[in-house]
Parts: sequence; structure tokens; C-alpha cells
Amino acid sequence: MKIIRIHNELLGTYGDRGNADVLAYRAGLAGISTRVIDVSYRDAIPHDGDIYLLGGAEDAAQILSCNALSGGSLHGAVEKGAVVLAICAGFQILGKSFYANNNEVRGLGLLNVTTVPGTQRYVGDIKIHSDLLGIDLTGFENHGGKTLLGAGAQSFGSVVVGHGNGESGVDGAVSGNIFGTYLHGPVLARNPEFADLLLSRAHGSPVKVDDPLADHYAALRLRLVK
Amino acid sequence: MDQRSDREPHTRLVRPTVAYSKGMENLRLAIAIAIAKSAGFLSKSLGRGSGETLPGRVLLTLCPNAIELLSASRVIILVSGTNGKTSTTKELVTQVRTVGTVVTSGSGSNLTRGVAGALMQDSVFAVLEVDELHLPSVVAATNPALVLLLNLSRDQLHRMHEVKRVASRWHEMCKSADPSTLFVADVDDPFVNYAITGAASAVRVSFGAASGGRHPDGAVCPSCGRYLDWIEGKYHCECGLSNEYADHTYESGSAGYRNFVLASIAADMVGVHNSISNIALRTDYRGMERATEKVFAGVKARLRLTKNPASWTEALAGVVGDNVILVLNAREVDGIDTSWIWDVSYANLAGKKVVVTGERGADLAYRIHVEGVESTLVDTFDEAIALFGLGSVEVLAAYTAFFGLVNR
Ligand SMILES: [Zn+2]
Repeated sequence: MKIIRIHNELLGTYGDRGNADVLAYRAGLAGISTRVIDVSYRDAIPHDGDIYLLGGAEDAAQILSCNALSGGSLHGAVEKGAVVLAICAGFQILGKSFYANNNEVRGLGLLNVTTVPGTQRYVGDIKIHSDLLGIDLTGFENHGGKTLLGAGAQSFGSVVVGHGNGESGVDGAVSGNIFGTYLHGPVLARNPEFADLLLSRAHGSPVKVDDPLADHYAALRLRLVK
Repeated sequence: MDQRSDREPHTRLVRPTVAYSKGMENLRLAIAIAIAKSAGFLSKSLGRGSGETLPGRVLLTLCPNAIELLSASRVIILVSGTNGKTSTTKELVTQVRTVGTVVTSGSGSNLTRGVAGALMQDSVFAVLEVDELHLPSVVAATNPALVLLLNLSRDQLHRMHEVKRVASRWHEMCKSADPSTLFVADVDDPFVNYAITGAASAVRVSFGAASGGRHPDGAVCPSCGRYLDWIEGKYHCECGLSNEYADHTYESGSAGYRNFVLASIAADMVGVHNSISNIALRTDYRGMERATEKVFAGVKARLRLTKNPASWTEALAGVVGDNVILVLNAREVDGIDTSWIWDVSYANLAGKKVVVTGERGADLAYRIHVEGVESTLVDTFDEAIALFGLGSVEVLAAYTAFFGLVNR
């Protein structure tokens, strides 16, 4: 299984590189061999990845990364059914447009969402309920953008604590195998079930990993974020 | 090594002492200081806190422009940066004391009130550690002779938001500072280099190629937003931002060494004799790294402050023993978001006896677990230390945990 970590030097503000490490570690426990491929800004994006990861970024870095991806390199992989997890700035990049350095920037259009400047900076612990997983997830959010879902777009979860997409009471967006969310922390470290969902989608059959320390950590965060 | 010969210190930086102009304002200031001092004394004798920030707070309440008034008659030197503020300030105080009386702020009181508190005592010099976000207002209020800018990297993002945001504030600060204010800066850090491009007078210091390689947060030019290509610690942007040119070039070295060199150059600028030529002679700069030895329950502990990816990486590289305790908290000054722990590699702890504790110990235990480092997770530091018998242990502790242990 190929895990592609996209532009971590640009999209890695919130420890986002950890999501790839967690996926590789859990896949290993499940007996699936993986390779984490770091693709930097100067590199071409491989088309044969199984899971693509995009993380958080400061404004200038977000614009650079979006420009590098705008050639359509990610679209091909998505059409082949690859799994994509995009956090914070990465999530905004996948939408139709976002704001960075006070300018509107055209996104990749892989998710039917638009991001506009928020009424405040959304900073703090966040807890959401995911219908897809049937559980609560925790993370930390730190963003100035407010994301609006387009017609027919599906959110990733409903907000229990924090802000998510802004004041709408929901967080993120899901379309097929593409997941966007404002939860960092990194999100897969704090939510092992979510990591296993992505592995299952990429593997084509259910992956359930047993790692008591991961479960202990996830449960602790769920109890403490309120 | 530095190519320049010894020369006369920058005497222009030593400002003449001017007597306070008489008037109501100074009477008000004198009364405010008297009240603030007795408030501090009272607070200390009642055992309320350290009594360090209270007098400054009282002073600023009674006399909001106290910092301006108290700065006018002395040479103000400010030190700021994400890492190494306290140890660099201490070193600079030691050196500047050889040429005049110095007041300084106590460690951990680097906000405006700490600055005000420090300035209540008379002196020729004031050497003050200042928080990154408070630096612009302190520069405006004190009109410093010299500002030493160490580095900027990710730290307390819930408060700082972005490294670039802090750099932009510093850039504006350099632009609006008095032209006589001299900025001494480590230009290997592109954020610091960008900040001083706004300064009228600056001394650029570089530690050459391979000074730890690429800045961990330096993929984008803070000046123009272009992608910044790094070759062995050197960067050059099309907009002109580069560390290929510097006024002083030194060999690369540990963070402690670099801060010692920067402190010595700053000391030279304010008239400390031989401070630059002494750089090559000094070997004890390792002591500048914030490590403290202490015995807990019979176990000899070497404590190191670790508060962000840069300082963790530096501290982990210094771990030589086989016994390690890691302590992670996430209070306001620690940074309430722990996600950065994933940007540090703990691989060199593999095979050692590692015990993890702190309010966010579980975050760290799981993070190192994924990197193949297994640990014992316990609730308290006392439980952790009890696991080491009567031996010795290296303790890497987050901000509040570190000071909690040092002050125990
Ligand atoms: Zn540039």
C-alpha cells in the first residue's frame, strides 16, 4: 500500500506528518506492508498511490501547494478511487475556492465546498460526531476560514465541542473516498477507528487493528474534550 | 571565524545619562514605584507567588507610561526569539556587568509587566528578555540601543497563530524603530532575516552552511511567498532574501553555542571589551543550555527544558544516558495544542528505559510508540522517578513541568 504524503514541508504545520506514520504503523500491525512516500513541492505527484494526505499550512504555503496541485495530478488518482485525507488548509485546497493572504484562491474542486474568511479565528479542542463511523472523534482546530457546503455536499460530522466549518454546526466534508476535516492533532493518532476506515477503504476489505495504547489515548481525549 | 579585527566599541550606542526633568510626571512615577515595591514586598512576605510580576503590574496601573520614563536614562538591550531567550539574556548580563550596572528581568517574566518591574531599580544598562509578541510594544516604549533577535520557529501556535505572523510584526517593528536602534540577528533563520530587512541598522550573523540544515518551518520565503530552496543550510530567494551575506560568519554549532556567540557580539556592540575575541577562548557555553541538576528521591536528575520542536530536537540530541523521563504538559505557556510532538523524531531513545508522564503524557507515549520507542506511562513525576532506584536520569520536560521541577 502506497501512502503519499503531499508537500509536508508546506502542509505540515500541525504535526500532520503523523497521519502517515499512524497509517503505516497500524497497517503493519494488520499485516499490510506499506510505503510512505514524501512528495515535496518540486516533485511530481505519483498517480498510483492508495492514500493521499494533505495537512495544515500557513497562507503563503497553502497558495504554493494549491498551485502545484492545480495541474490536476490529484484528480487522476481520485478517479481511480484513491483515498484522500485533507486537514485544515489541505481541506480548503480540495474545495472550489478559499481565501489566503486576503485573496480568493481557486481550489482543486474535488469537494463541493467554498471557504470564506471567518468571523473569528477558530482555535481550540474540537469534538465531532461522525455518522459514517458512528462515534465521536476529537482533535484540535486552528483556522481563520469558514467553510460552506455546496448543494448536496455531505459534512464529515456534527460539531459537539468547538467550531469545525464555522458556525454551521458541522465539520468537514466527505465525497466518496475523499475526507476533509478541521481536526488536527494529528487526527488519525487521536482517532484510531478513523485510521482503520481509511485503511479499509484503501485495502478494499475491512481492516481492524488491535493496539491498546492507541485505544487508551483516544478514549482519554474523548473523555477530556468537553 | 570572524575576520574583523578588534576595534573600538560602538560608543554611539552608549547614550548619555539624562537627569529626569522635574515635574508632576516624575513625582507620580516615584510614588508609583514606591507603592509597587511595597506591593511586591507584601506579596512576597504573604507567600503569594514569586512577587516578580506583581510590582510591574502595579506600576503600570498607577503610571501607564512608566516604561518610557524609566528607559529614557539608560542603555536598553532587548533579547527575543522562540528559543534561548533566558540563557542568552543571562550570558549578556554577565558580560555587560563588566562595564556597568545592569538590571534584568527574572526568567519567565518577559511580558510588559516583567519589563516594568525590572526597570524599577536604577542602572546604567537594562538587559531584558522579551516575549516575541510583546517585543514590538516594548521596543516602541523603551527605544532600545540594541535588540538581539535569536530565532523564530513554531511555538504556542494557539497564541502565535503562524510563525510568519510573528515575523511580519517584527518586520514592522524594525521599520518603525528609531534609526539608532541596532538589531543583531541570526540571518540563518529566514524569519529573523526578513524581520531585519526593515531595520535602519543591523548586524547580520551567520553560522555558515550546515547549521542544522533547513529551517524546519522555512519552506516559504517570509518576504515574498516564493518556495525557498535550501542547500545545506543556505537559502537564496529571487526577491533577495539570503543568508549568503553576513557581517559575522562563525562555524556552525549547538543552539547554546550560537546564542553565546550572538550574546558576545551584542556585548561588543555596547562596549564590552574583548567579548568577540573571547568567543574562541570560551568552551563553557554548553552551560548556557538550560539544564539543571537536581536530586529527587535519591535519583540524580539532569533537567532540560523542551518546549517546541526545535528545543526537543536539540535536547534529544544531547541525551547520552540510558534512563530518560519525558514530561509533557499543555497549559497556556506550554501551548495547548500538542500536535507538534509529531514533528520531532525520538528514534534515538530506542533501547533506553523511557518513562513518560505529565498532563499530556498519553499523547507523547503514543507518539513515540508509533516510532518504535516503548515507554512506561505514569501519572506523576514522583512515580516516574521511583522507577529509577538510586541511579541517574535525564529529564526532558515541557515548560510548566520544567519550572515546576526546578522550583521544587
Ligand atoms: Zn523571497
